[in-house]
Amino acid sequence: MLRIKRDLAYRRIAEELFIVDAAKSELHELNGPAAVIWEGIASGKNGPGIISDIVSEFEVDEKTARADLAEFTEELLRQGLLTNANS
Amino acid sequence: MTAMRIGIRTSAGGSAKIPQSPFLLGIADSSAGFMFRGDAGAARGIRKRYGDFSGGRKPVFLFEVNFKDRKQNPYKPAINLKNGSVRLKRGDFDCIVDTGTGAGRLEINPSQQSFDSFLRTLYSWILIRCGGCMLHSAGIVKNGKAYIFLGKSGAGKSTLSKLAAASSGCPAGRPALGIEVLSDEINLLRFEKGSFRVYGSPFWGEMRNEGRHGSWPVGGFFLLKKAKANRLGDCTKSEALRLLLRCLVNFDRSPETAGNVLRTAARLLANARFSRLEFTKKDAGFLELV
Repeated sequence: MLRIKRDLAYRRIAEELFIVDAAKSELHELNGPAAVIWEGIASGKNGPGIISDIVSEFEVDEKTARADLAEFTEELLRQGLLTNANS
Repeated sequence: MTAMRIGIRTSAGGSAKIPQSPFLLGIADSSAGFMFRGDAGAARGIRKRYGDFSGGRKPVFLFEVNFKDRKQNPYKPAINLKNGSVRLKRGDFDCIVDTGTGAGRLEINPSQQSFDSFLRTLYSWILIRCGGCMLHSAGIVKNGKAYIFLGKSGAGKSTLSKLAAASSGCPAGRPALGIEVLSDEINLLRFEKGSFRVYGSPFWGEMRNEGRHGSWPVGGFFLLKKAKANRLGDCTKSEALRLLLRCLVNFDRSPETAGNVLRTAARLLANARFSRLEFTKKDAGFLELV
């Protein structure tokens, strides 16, 4: 189960979502699809729930949405913005 | 005729026995009191330096100030909250405040520069807590509204401020022709009754003015850049936010404060107009575009 790392502040401003990692003095900026994924994870949705959100908001098929979700969550894990509760 | 009995009674012992009224400072509508111990010269200098911001209502914070020679490093302050108290620390000062009672103890180098740095640290924290912020920026009042010019180091904040002050015919930046420089380095904002106001700032850079008390509604924000000609342009909200966060003074690394900072920045973007201003240092012609 993926979780957002504790101690991050984030907020949607205009069409984008901004994440502040105060401890590292870093600012991350997510575009529309990335923001949908982030907000899905933040609200505790599972993979199929987030894929459904992406498909309904953007003009992509389910296969593309699943691949994008996998790629993006890997990137978030690599950057230390997500933690894997199972590991 | 009997001579009057004129006398003076002096108490021996520590200064704590002598009643002393605190030096009150009212900056950006937040009041803090300071009880100075020892080094009367340093205390006198501080009282004089912040003269225009002295006085005011009952202080929210009351500090007992002990002057002591401290090492200068590190220069960058740190703010830590723990168990109902906040610690503001830099090489030349160390302060612990009870956030419940507002009572604090400050140990600081007996210098105006150290005290100024302490005040900047303290008020950056106070303003973020109450929905405002301290911005590394130039601030100018034109026709009763405050305009904030954001820029990284070298973007031209001091140059622009000096040009504006010169155009007002008064180098100190006092009102003339509807133009007044609020600060060439640090400006103070609060969110009040649904909109932001900019408060007079005692914190200055190269211009070394003392500032004055007062507050003005926000007229707009400009992302500043030196250029060969004056030009006004649009900017995206994310561009504005990035620079806003970079210019927002915050030494507290806690996630709560980061959340408050983001909320304030989002409010600023929603409530005020942000534009890009390219300006030439030849003259104050940019004021026509503001």
